[in-house]
Amino acid sequence: MNVPVDVLATFNTIGGIKPTYIRLEDGDHMLHTHKIEDILYTKEEKYAGIAAMLFCCNIRNDNCKQMIKLRYQIESHTWVLVRSL
Amino acid sequence: MAIGNNGIARWNGLGTGNEQTESEVRTLERVIFHIDVNSAFLSWEAVYRLHVLGDTHDLREIPSAVAGDVKKRHGIILARSIPAKRYGVRTGDMISEATKLCPTLKLVPPHYDLYATSSKAFMKILREFSPCVEQYSIDEAFCDMSETIALYGTPVVAANLIRERIKEELGFTVNIGVSSNKLLAKMASDFTKPDRVHTLFPDEVPRKMWPLPVGDLFFVGRATKKKLKNLGINTIGDLAQTEVSILSSHLKKHGELIHDFANGIDVSLVSSQTVANKGYGNSTTIAFDVEDAITAKLVLLGLSETVAARLREDNMLARVVAVDIVDYEFNRCSHQMTLYEATNGTSEIYQAACKLFDQLWNQAPIRHLGVHTSKVEEDSGMRQLNLFDMEKNEKLAALDKAIDSIRDRYGADSVMRASFVGSKIYHMSGGIPPEKRKVNYKDVKF
Repeated sequence: MNVPVDVLATFNTIGGIKPTYIRLEDGDHMLHTHKIEDILYTKEEKYAGIAAMLFCCNIRNDNCKQMIKLRYQIESHTWVLVRSL
Repeated sequence: MAIGNNGIARWNGLGTGNEQTESEVRTLERVIFHIDVNSAFLSWEAVYRLHVLGDTHDLREIPSAVAGDVKKRHGIILARSIPAKRYGVRTGDMISEATKLCPTLKLVPPHYDLYATSSKAFMKILREFSPCVEQYSIDEAFCDMSETIALYGTPVVAANLIRERIKEELGFTVNIGVSSNKLLAKMASDFTKPDRVHTLFPDEVPRKMWPLPVGDLFFVGRATKKKLKNLGINTIGDLAQTEVSILSSHLKKHGELIHDFANGIDVSLVSSQTVANKGYGNSTTIAFDVEDAITAKLVLLGLSETVAARLREDNMLARVVAVDIVDYEFNRCSHQMTLYEATNGTSEIYQAACKLFDQLWNQAPIRHLGVHTSKVEEDSGMRQLNLFDMEKNEKLAALDKAIDSIRDRYGADSVMRASFVGSKIYHMSGGIPPEKRKVNYKDVKF
């Protein structure tokens, strides 16, 4: 299942959204903040009529780059970490 | 495409190479599409779970159904997947019947807020293809493509473009029926499912529509089907070839209508204008059998609240109030009265409903109650005063207005009548109850 996450993002004057940091919780309920290093692509989605923006990005995790997908759900103003298959 | 001297478009199979089928080379006056979402409620829930919640199982690929809550006696199948259909599960079946047919049937609760969102997005895409779109229900629409079809090629190419666009963007599949009138387009969209485009032009009617059972024809319900069967009419073709006089002697005007339909004749136009409501009504199935008038009147009050609020929202007044009762043995009865003057006040509608209820009820335990209003007219803001208005109508109207604005701002449950405190009856009965609008996914097992 997709996991709701805390995200720090910038919003520019022409409506562009750029996630910059993401905070994830580990199995011991410890919070870890990761910098979003780069955004590979963004895609506007409207599955079942629900407007969202998908961001495919790389984060730094213990000196490793890891690719994740984040979705910003426009109506609910929430971010979720998309379950990777 | 070539435009003939008479201004009628002639299709020459553009976009399909050299293969010109009969339906592509034809003279058309109009191009009508009927677009129908496949297993709408179930598809929308499946897409939501897959793409928004991140579930890995697609409800459309397993025997599954959207169903109401058995405990609240709303336990019927609202939509089912195609694998569930193979087990014989039908829309409208009781949950107990459906699970007997398919013990592995996965049931999911209704989610009406999602359905409204999905339906809105679906209609928005259709309006990009044609300005003339008639929403026929939450999950189907007619599209008059006559003026815009030249932008896309042949009708079949345009239909496939719409079908693909909806699938790609919104994630669910649709069936599209293509024809030159609404009836044939609707019949065509019902052929094989899912995710298909079918044509049913008038010259294809004998080949594609006539062999179908007569019950598949639009406007032929269970009762008409039985009457037709007694006349030896089993297929749509039998009906088309029967003398109209025979049909009208048995079925009156309806006989003429279905004879026209069987021959593919329908003159109705696609109308993008919303038709004004002829009446406003709400009804509810109560979670238990009501055996006393006090409880029944509390239900009527809840229904009157929602009906009157809807009238006020649309700035309408109703002159006729009706009450209908379904008892524990599913016997239905109803009664109506004309008011001295049209109203949209909760209190006046409720009083009329109580009066009707007292005259109608035979003391049998009640399963279902409804309050309906008709003969509606626009509220001009003026009221004829009469000597019998013992209640101060102006004050009551101001109260209704204040309550509406509080509920609008803070939610339907922000203010309610004291008579509902501690009662099992919801104070705003009828329509879609809050628990069916949203699903608490924390309680749902995936």
